[in-house]
Amino acid sequence: MVKGGLTVPWAIMMSLLVYAGSAQLAALPLIVAGAPLWVIVTTGFITNLRFVIYSAALRPYFADEPWRKRAALGFFMTDFTFTRFMRSAQEGSLPEQNRDAWFAGVCSSNWITWQLSAMTGIIGASYVPTEWGLEFTGTLALVALVGPSLNARPAVVGAIVAAVVALLAFPLPFKLGLFCGAIAGIAAATLADYWQQRETPHTLENA
Amino acid sequence: MNDAVSGIALGVVIVGLALSTFVTRTSFLLAGARFRLGHRVEVALRYAPVCTLAAIIVPNILLHPPAATIDLSVLNPRLIGALAAGLWLCWSRNLIGCLGSGMAAYTLARLCL
Repeated sequence: MVKGGLTVPWAIMMSLLVYAGSAQLAALPLIVAGAPLWVIVTTGFITNLRFVIYSAALRPYFADEPWRKRAALGFFMTDFTFTRFMRSAQEGSLPEQNRDAWFAGVCSSNWITWQLSAMTGIIGASYVPTEWGLEFTGTLALVALVGPSLNARPAVVGAIVAAVVALLAFPLPFKLGLFCGAIAGIAAATLADYWQQRETPHTLENA
Repeated sequence: MNDAVSGIALGVVIVGLALSTFVTRTSFLLAGARFRLGHRVEVALRYAPVCTLAAIIVPNILLHPPAATIDLSVLNPRLIGALAAGLWLCWSRNLIGCLGSGMAAYTLARLCL
């Protein structure tokens, strides 16, 4: 992140407060390009939208907890901790009681590992010369993030449409091309998903 | 660092992003009793990250920042780096290998081509 144009204290603050790797990586090129505030925040928000689904999926397990605890467990939930929790829930290996404490344990160890690695990277990166082009690792990290989710046809369709529209609409002001691409991609993926379900309704029942 | 992105503006961006993390992650945990997620909406939300990231990545790779013209040539170092990273990702799911091969290909292409 430091190579993306942030000073060390700002980068550390971002990691501690935002705590969402994909949103941070998505926001970074926009921050460097001097995009308007609302564009940066909205982009981060769209990147975070998947957590709405996670949140809905977790709700039944923690519905009886006080709201403060639900808020805390929610904020510290990540792709990894959510996947870990749901796997244990499906295997039936969750404890009968104190599920909140079990999940808090997973989340806190994940948080510590993440923040320690982030600090190492933030401080270490300031010793690397800019000529090495290290900021390109940000784009590559996004590639690594997207790669595994391209395992279904609707996702591939959505990604291609999003990329083509974003390229064509790039000259638009305020980075609006990014939103045009994202919205067109989401619409295409949703349609492709709908058609796929209609063609092969059995997969829905088996899933 | 660029002055335009320093100070208060950057603070506002960070607070805004932190809020977006909080709102999305706690949404249904806090307000789930009152709302339900329709199937169609859930599908759209599921594909939102992939599409947004694709809309960020591809222009980043193919557009040269100053001219903003599409560079599809095989000599584009960013394209070479991204392809190497993507190939590595298909071959193994290892993140370090993906970043390493991508950076190696990008650097080689940048210095040699």
